[in-house]
Amino acid sequence: MTVKALYDYDYPAKDRQENFGDDILVHVLWANNLMFCAAACFRAPKAMPWSDFKAQMIDPWASSDPGYDPAAPAGWQVDGGGAIDTGANPTLEETGVGHKGLITFRT
Amino acid sequence: MTGTGKVRRVGVDLQDSDDTRSLVEAIEADNPDVELLHMPGLVKVTTTGELVIRRESVEKLLGREWETHEFQLSIVSYSGNIAEWDDDKIVIKWEH
Amino acid sequence: MAKLSMRERYSLLTRDLDWTPTYVDPKIVYPYTRYEGIKIHDWDSWEDPFRLTVDSYCKYQAEKDKKLYAVIDSFAQGQGHLLLTDARYLNAVKLFLQGVTPLEYQAHRHFGFLARHLDGPGPRFAALCQSIDELRHTQTEIHTISQYNKYYGGLHNWSQMHDRVWYLSVPKSFFDDGLSAGPFEFLTAISFSFEYFLTNLLFVPFMSGASFNGDLATMTFGFSAQSDESRHMTLGLGVLKFMLEQDEDNVPILQDWIDKWFWRGYRLLSLVAAMMDYMLPKKVMSWKEAFELYLEEQMLNGLFPDLEYYGIRPPRHVEQAITEKEYMSHQVYWVLYNFSHAAAFNTTIPTAEELDWLSASYPDTFDRYYRPLWDRAQQIADSGGRFFYGGLPMLCQVCQIPMGFTEPGDPTTISVRSSEFRQERYNFCSDGCKWIFDREPEKYVQAWLPVHQIYQGNCGGASIPDVLAWYGMQPGDGGEYGASPDKASWDEWHAQAAAGGAE
Repeated sequence: MTVKALYDYDYPAKDRQENFGDDILVHVLWANNLMFCAAACFRAPKAMPWSDFKAQMIDPWASSDPGYDPAAPAGWQVDGGGAIDTGANPTLEETGVGHKGLITFRT
Repeated sequence: MTGTGKVRRVGVDLQDSDDTRSLVEAIEADNPDVELLHMPGLVKVTTTGELVIRRESVEKLLGREWETHEFQLSIVSYSGNIAEWDDDKIVIKWEH
Repeated sequence: MAKLSMRERYSLLTRDLDWTPTYVDPKIVYPYTRYEGIKIHDWDSWEDPFRLTVDSYCKYQAEKDKKLYAVIDSFAQGQGHLLLTDARYLNAVKLFLQGVTPLEYQAHRHFGFLARHLDGPGPRFAALCQSIDELRHTQTEIHTISQYNKYYGGLHNWSQMHDRVWYLSVPKSFFDDGLSAGPFEFLTAISFSFEYFLTNLLFVPFMSGASFNGDLATMTFGFSAQSDESRHMTLGLGVLKFMLEQDEDNVPILQDWIDKWFWRGYRLLSLVAAMMDYMLPKKVMSWKEAFELYLEEQMLNGLFPDLEYYGIRPPRHVEQAITEKEYMSHQVYWVLYNFSHAAAFNTTIPTAEELDWLSASYPDTFDRYYRPLWDRAQQIADSGGRFFYGGLPMLCQVCQIPMGFTEPGDPTTISVRSSEFRQERYNFCSDGCKWIFDREPEKYVQAWLPVHQIYQGNCGGASIPDVLAWYGMQPGDGGEYGASPDKASWDEWHAQAAAGGAE
């Protein structure tokens, strides 16, 4: 118990994955576009195919920048993991990104 | 820029008001090396070593009785430690 | 009969009203002052340099209030709000009322708790005075700023907003962290770190900002409160030295708290940095200048050599704060600009003059990294649009700010750190926030993170309008300043004034 307390200090994490059912929180960072002040946070099903995640979540968000071209992103990486083979259309779970993990891309 | 060899100043920031004018004059009289910096609404009073505010000096210039407690009404901020505060004087300085 | 001296009166009204109970173990009367590991051997060695007693406290506080309320009355009678440099300035006031005023109230509550639970009569009375002071600050801020609520947006629902809105979870979580810590950590966090070490970086930007921008009411409040603050500063430094002097074993515990609370406070103050560089039509000084003066010169070169005597060193991660002074304010205002459609304040592109001031104040970073962003925002505005972030951001688990901070010395790379605790991942903006989490993970895993709460359906609904309604916001509270009701009102009232005076 790292917290000093007069009793047993033990409480559940507010954002544990089970609170999201079959979904996870996924962050996406457009690494070389600082128009976006920070990475985005999405809630998406673990079983969501990459193509859906890209079209329904990443593209609308990235289009906040009028210069965004949906065909331009490359170098998809999972933070702390490997490259994402988007051509193989993996599910989010299959990319290796975990709950509250981070995916980055560049243009 | 490091602190080595640099003399640390002590000081007090006072509200720029009618009463404070006499207070500042009293401080100047009792602290010969004091420096004043006027800013909007505020006077910064600094010196090296220690800063002393004496009730008698303030009373002389204000033309009425003055308690050292009244100093609270004028103070905005200070730099250093309040080493003494009694009926007759207030002393601000660094301890170590 | 001779009048009692200050020293005698103080002793009679504090120490001499105290007693050691014989009918119960003192440890039961004061149950909270041992569990943190801080050892106090002699509570009587703590004495208030101000030697305030209840009679002088009431007398002088009443006088301060009378003076202040006279100014507020005159401000209202004279339509003082029309003297502001520009309605754009009021976004700083909105940030203050929503973000800072509620913290005053929380401080009032907790100093009241300390007024009961500290073992020594001297510290108890000082805590009691501070509790009343903080309630006074809450009240006077509300009264002062209510003058603006009559005419401008964003000020009507600060209390509900503080508890629910994303950027306000930054100050709220900061204070909750302190409230839920033990009394000695709270005193180190708030009395020492916030009210002494970092105080000028909060107070001077807001109060000088008020003075420079024609906000007589807030400026007067500021001076009125500052005289209380000098007592708070004294308590802060006094209680730290008291703890350091009581037992050598206290030193490492206090060092850890100084490290933690410097970083938490510094991250909280990033909102102030953004405010002073971008929300004030008439600038006081840049964040960089304020940081150099109030932190580096006055504190690192003034206070900390004093504390070296006790074995205390400057806070861990302070080097990163020094590096960040060159660019941090731009990053944080950019976050606010991105998200003001979901905020209860407006943002806008700085004027050409202001952009030049920013270039001159930040010669190594502004033109290289941040002017291009403003140019791009201007391009979008020129074609009839307005750049807003169309989504929700990644938040730091500890400071709760959207993770727009970058690797030290590299403003082009967003900084991401993470930790795993009980098979769950947690993300942080910096080494400083990660260090804080890793020390006490059981605490921070409970953080109420606004973005994650929205996604769990706890914030009124799934759409932005649903969430803003739940936040207690009204149309016009946020968004682009140029399109705001505040600006429309301002232009109308000042056009009338100009027309009326033209003859």
